[in-house]
Amino acid sequence: MANLEKFEEFVDNLSQLDDETRFEYILDLARKHRHDPFPASDMTPEHEMHGCQAKVWIVHEQRGDMHYFRGHSDAAIVNGLVTMMTDSFSGLTSREIAELSIDHVRKLNLGSLTMQRQVGMMAMLKYIKKLGLAQAA
Amino acid sequence: MSGVASLSRTVDDNAPYDVEEVRTDFPILSEKIYGKPLVFLDSAASAQKPRVVIEAMKNLYEHEYANVHRGLYWLSERATDRFEQARRTVAAHLNAAHDHEIVFTRNGTEAINLVAATWGRTFLKAGDEIVISELEHHANIVPWQMLRSEKGIVIKVAPITDEGELRMDAFRALLGPRTKLVAIAHMSNVLGTIFPVKEIVASAHAIGAKVLLDGCQAATHQRVDVQDIGCDFYAITGHKLYGPSGIGALWGREELLDAMPPYMGGGEMIDKVSFEKTTWAPLPHKFEAGTPAIVQAHGLAVALDYMNGLGLERIARHENDVLRYANERLGAIPGLRIIGTAPSKASVVSMLADFAHAHDIATVIDREGVAVRTGNHCAQPLMARLGVNATVRASIGLYNRRQDIDALAEALEKVRRVFG
Repeated sequence: MANLEKFEEFVDNLSQLDDETRFEYILDLARKHRHDPFPASDMTPEHEMHGCQAKVWIVHEQRGDMHYFRGHSDAAIVNGLVTMMTDSFSGLTSREIAELSIDHVRKLNLGSLTMQRQVGMMAMLKYIKKLGLAQAA
Repeated sequence: MSGVASLSRTVDDNAPYDVEEVRTDFPILSEKIYGKPLVFLDSAASAQKPRVVIEAMKNLYEHEYANVHRGLYWLSERATDRFEQARRTVAAHLNAAHDHEIVFTRNGTEAINLVAATWGRTFLKAGDEIVISELEHHANIVPWQMLRSEKGIVIKVAPITDEGELRMDAFRALLGPRTKLVAIAHMSNVLGTIFPVKEIVASAHAIGAKVLLDGCQAATHQRVDVQDIGCDFYAITGHKLYGPSGIGALWGREELLDAMPPYMGGGEMIDKVSFEKTTWAPLPHKFEAGTPAIVQAHGLAVALDYMNGLGLERIARHENDVLRYANERLGAIPGLRIIGTAPSKASVVSMLADFAHAHDIATVIDREGVAVRTGNHCAQPLMARLGVNATVRASIGLYNRRQDIDALAEALEKVRRVFG
């Protein structure tokens, strides 16, 4: 089973919040970037994920068989969601990345923040898998 | 019958209408969103429907429904009457010279695609030029690109100013002996700019080019007279005109429609069919293969009756008053910039804020019950021209009032507190 400790922590935290505070929680995740800013030099077309209303960049790095992701968006709420995804799925092996599915996104239960956002999260997961698996191939 | 109650309101064409009374005609406007009153500012995407439209469609289904143009029985004749009456209503609304110049389509997009696929395929050849503008909706870009891939035509793009006006000098400079069509928006869905269509038509006709106008936005905010404008094709969509989705119309000049081959093949659009040869039905049925959107066409006609009952000029005056107020009220919010400031504009306020991304704005104000559109508004090339990724667009319909703008402004203040 994949080491999804961070992901489970997000699931657990989100499940205890109502819509309003869930929203605050996501914004807090976005604010994390103020202490650990995403460098402007990484905001390149090479790292840009297309298809979102907001701009999203995700950088992938492989150390041994472990995959690490960090990302950023120009929109604060999307930035929080990007952080949730990159933190959740960093430190996984290629096999673990391959096992990720949209059920993981469903488990976060963000549908209440509108379906559009849940669809965006699914696209983000797909992109993370693509980055991880392309590198592993 | 439906629409009559509204028609009776037209006592004085010059007096403003009572917007609060008008709002009671739209059931959805009394909905609560997250426990707050709905503030609907997205009519440019799709307008809400008055009760008369909803009831007229229900009534047709319950009492008068059958397929059209076929059965020799009361119901079918009744449904056919309704459908053809709808055509007459649309024709009158656009002041078409003939009812059969109105072709029902699914929407404005299909109306433009119909012209590209029939007139374009038949009369354009490699090297022929089509002129569009920088602020077109994708629906008035992509069909021509598909035609370019197929026929090798050339697409030229007329530039706009930073304020969102068409640069007429540059537009005229693009017109030449190879220009066969000018396909251009009557009104921008992003900036609200109303293009000087009569001037555009005069310039295009002077060099022998035809003109197609995308009227999906303009027709909701002003009286459209295709004969006065002098264009050759005009596309509208029902759902922005307070009618149902699934119905739109193409108006085309009789002689052009006559010369065009059919769009799709099937029932309704034929005269005689044999395995050797099929001949086409006369206009407009040549372009209406298969069972049409019968009930939707009726719904659209009732919606147009409703608008005419209120008075198109009064609607325009009312909306312009709310637009002026929006420009003042929203323009006074520090850090908020209104995109698109052409003197000739209607009913649309596109905004950028330096304190929050459009996506964040929409998310926060949604929680306040305020519905606006964010994103590129199906106009990515325009966004690129303006150098922006996404805007927040508030659009004003006949039922909006100053309080809606106040609610939006207050919601934007909340956004500033959250993100600022």
